[in-house]
Amino acid sequence: MWHSATVRLSLGFVALAIFCLGIADLSITAHEPWHELLRLLQGLVQPDISAVDDLGVALLRTLAFAFVGVGLGAAAGFLLALAFRSRLVRSACAFVRAIHELFWALIFLQFFGLHPLTGVLAIALPYAGVFAKVFAEILEETDPLPEHVLPAGSGRLSALAFTRLRDAWPHLVSYTSYRLECGLRSSAVLGFVGMPTIGFYLESAFAQGHYNTVGALLLLFYVLIATLRLWVRPLLVPVYLVVAPFCLGSGLPIVWSNVSRFFTEDIVPAPLRHGEGVSGLASWFGDLMAHEALPGIWHTLVLTQIALVLTGILALVLYPLVSRHFFQRRFDQNRTHRSGNAKPGNRLAHLLGHGLLVVMRSTPEYLLAFILLQLWGPSMLPAVVALAIHNGGIIAHLVGRRSNEVNLRPDAPQGLERYAYELTPRLYGPFLALLFYRWEIIMRETAILGILGITTLGFYVDSAIQEIRFDRAMVLILITALLNIGVDVFARHLRAKLRLRHTANCEP
Amino acid sequence: MSTLALIDAVADYGHQRVLGPLNLTLKRGERVALVGKSGAGKSSLLSVMHQHWRGRGAALMPQELGLVASLSVFHNVYMGALAMHPTWYNLVTLAKPFRRDVAAIRPLLERLSIDDKCWARAGELSGGQRQRVAAARAIHQGGEVLLADEPVSALDGPQSETLMVELTRAYPTAVLAMHDVELALRYTDRVIGIAEGGIALDAPSVQLTAQDLLPLY
Amino acid sequence: MLKRLTLALTVLLTAPVASAETFVFTAIPDEDETRLQQRFQNVADYLEEKLDVDVRFVPVKSYAAAVTAFRNNQVQLAWFGGLSGVQARARVEDSRALAQGVEDAEFMTYFIAHQSTGLEEGEGLSDEMRDMTFTFGSKGSTSGRLMPEYYLREAFGQPPEEVFSRVGFSGNHSRTISLVASGAYDLGAVNYTVWENEVEAGNIDTDQVEVVWKTPHYPDYQWTIRGDVDERFGAGFADRVREALLNMEDPELLESFPRSGFIPASNDDYAIIESVGKELGLID
Repeated sequence: MWHSATVRLSLGFVALAIFCLGIADLSITAHEPWHELLRLLQGLVQPDISAVDDLGVALLRTLAFAFVGVGLGAAAGFLLALAFRSRLVRSACAFVRAIHELFWALIFLQFFGLHPLTGVLAIALPYAGVFAKVFAEILEETDPLPEHVLPAGSGRLSALAFTRLRDAWPHLVSYTSYRLECGLRSSAVLGFVGMPTIGFYLESAFAQGHYNTVGALLLLFYVLIATLRLWVRPLLVPVYLVVAPFCLGSGLPIVWSNVSRFFTEDIVPAPLRHGEGVSGLASWFGDLMAHEALPGIWHTLVLTQIALVLTGILALVLYPLVSRHFFQRRFDQNRTHRSGNAKPGNRLAHLLGHGLLVVMRSTPEYLLAFILLQLWGPSMLPAVVALAIHNGGIIAHLVGRRSNEVNLRPDAPQGLERYAYELTPRLYGPFLALLFYRWEIIMRETAILGILGITTLGFYVDSAIQEIRFDRAMVLILITALLNIGVDVFARHLRAKLRLRHTANCEP
Repeated sequence: MSTLALIDAVADYGHQRVLGPLNLTLKRGERVALVGKSGAGKSSLLSVMHQHWRGRGAALMPQELGLVASLSVFHNVYMGALAMHPTWYNLVTLAKPFRRDVAAIRPLLERLSIDDKCWARAGELSGGQRQRVAAARAIHQGGEVLLADEPVSALDGPQSETLMVELTRAYPTAVLAMHDVELALRYTDRVIGIAEGGIALDAPSVQLTAQDLLPLY
Repeated sequence: MLKRLTLALTVLLTAPVASAETFVFTAIPDEDETRLQQRFQNVADYLEEKLDVDVRFVPVKSYAAAVTAFRNNQVQLAWFGGLSGVQARARVEDSRALAQGVEDAEFMTYFIAHQSTGLEEGEGLSDEMRDMTFTFGSKGSTSGRLMPEYYLREAFGQPPEEVFSRVGFSGNHSRTISLVASGAYDLGAVNYTVWENEVEAGNIDTDQVEVVWKTPHYPDYQWTIRGDVDERFGAGFADRVREALLNMEDPELLESFPRSGFIPASNDDYAIIESVGKELGLID
């Protein structure tokens, strides 16, 4: 077992994470963390929405931004996916998706201001990059033969529509609907920087400790996500897409001169603006690197490493919750008339497991970190736990789903032995592929959590923006993007080396 | 088109040469059977031919058929004619087929006895049915030369006879890789035997018996 | 579907042709953000009545966002903190401070401590504070960041990160109080009006947290208006705005800020803030 490269790599990762644990600040500094948690729980039990201006409008805006942003992102991403062979397109997509939507929002806020376009582009742009990549992978995985045998002279579009697109369509649709759920989370979180979505009120309510309002808003948000399947119907989607742009609100008019000012003035490094030349630039850059970028990079890497390994552990522990090999599935009854086997206790456990994972993955990690930070005080701990809960929930869900495709022999062992001998070894490859796939996402989220006060790169980006120094902010955002791209390339390299296959369509 | 020729054609799989170099000339109206044991290079040769002659109206019916599982039988057959219609027409057909295309394809499906499956998805059919759909597509495509890899391997006697008749009627020139030697000799007028990536035998069918081809297997 | 999206985008870009002559203002109150829109709508209605133009209030999330909106001419009038006002005026030509709250002429920051620190009420900045944890308010706040940092550096001769074992930014004053009250931080710096109001409202357990030092007075919040409003809304518009602000007497309106009234202010009143900002490297 120790000869397997996969096992050695995994242990290496765990060892690295343990080392990082030693140097990371993970203390709970709140004296009464459970008291705050209790208040939050009380808020969830006694929700109160009277302190919010126009809750209906906030919900409408949350939905509208998600639909318009994801719609534009998917359309642009699809077109880009067709040109994904081009190195330029690939790099451009890698770049736009390496920057978190909150950073995009902060950038667009500088020149579009509080115009709906800020929120729409903040979602559409990085989503287009993600869509392009995943759509291209899905199209790649379709059977190339039907297209190959088409008569010479079949138009490109016809050929695409009849063969690869047709084949990939269900996967494209299911991935897009998954991203719509992500879009709702993003849309909500954009409220934290001033977009008129539900996050705007959530942040205010939290800031003032109005937990009853927090509880109400959180519950509403969960209901929105949990019922997604009920109201997002194939026939209704075009209607939503047409209506959504009119529900974004008017915001404030765009002053186009601000756009040119942003590019010709705001983001030009201060020494160049003040005519201090290259030597001034060098010392400015050196100072920025030494005091902000390098500490930020270091903390981002440390936090990412811990969060990644904890995410993996959590996913491995939790996937049995949604696996039919451990808990009977409800519809087994109808399907096979083995209803005698389905113990009601099992069914309940299955439902609870599913519910737990749904809550885990539908809480935006940003929100989760924010909550935990209030409860435990400032350290890396809230961030690590938030990232692990959110991402662990997603991977557990996907691995669990994958386990349901495994057919065990009738006399396979039960319980822990089944877990350790039958399932986990079979699922470990896909699991690792998913985890490496999410590495880049975890790092992007790690960086953004800096805005909450954890000293990752986002902390320094936020500081620069609060000090109205966009030249510094832009450099730091670019560094963040490069770091993400680097991790993505490295992860892809590892996946290729270990020959870990993953199917794009099951991958968020 | 008078003749089709391959000159010094090769095919590589990775670093390994699986075919050629070989030279081959095909006259219009010739029906050629490719025979040889599996792995000898028949499929590779067909694929090389398709590469070279696709632009000159060659249709390929590969062994894996190349059907789109989620599309109906009608649409799979219609795909043979994609090049004959403008893009908008093709896209509309995807949503709602035009009556005249249905009228053109129906009789073809009837002749191959799969017209009852016209609107079934290709993925739901049996192996023999799928093979007939792929053949129907090739017939609907039409053109100068048909390149078919084991076109009747999944069909029983009478059905394979019908299909061979239809295929050879639709294309003046054809290259058919076949393992059923008897059938091959009856429907073709030239036999090319392939062994170890090269041409081991090239003779008119009338001069050969099934016995003569045994050494190739 | 593509065509539909393009159409939607076009609509999106052209839809907000709000009347060009709407006078927009923003404000970040130093506490109580509940029903912000509703409360400031009353202020907008008041200004609308006095100024005879359409007035609209827009909520923002941070001082920086307020400065950006002001600079981008998306808002023409803003209730800024001391530092953000200086930052904004440096970026918009001819913009000027119109009025400040009665309390703002002599503003203060309170340093507060959790009872477990053992620090005495009113004992001042002492060496006992070294290696404790400390939180500012928001990064761009005058009373929660700029002035406390200034006085800390003056007292200890070192930047705060070297004095304390941990330095955080709570985000706002209310949160600073609750973080110190819960013991998440030993010490915090908070806007004095927020503290006084919260104590009065009975929201603070003074057994858990107490004021250990009050800074000297400095100027803080003020109304700042863009220089080009006269051009846009008619000659003397800025002066009429100032009149309206100074005459605002309805306690319900003033409660939103919360101030007991407004008095005249000028750019020069904030010279001290500007020099401190430069000294701390928060302003270029």
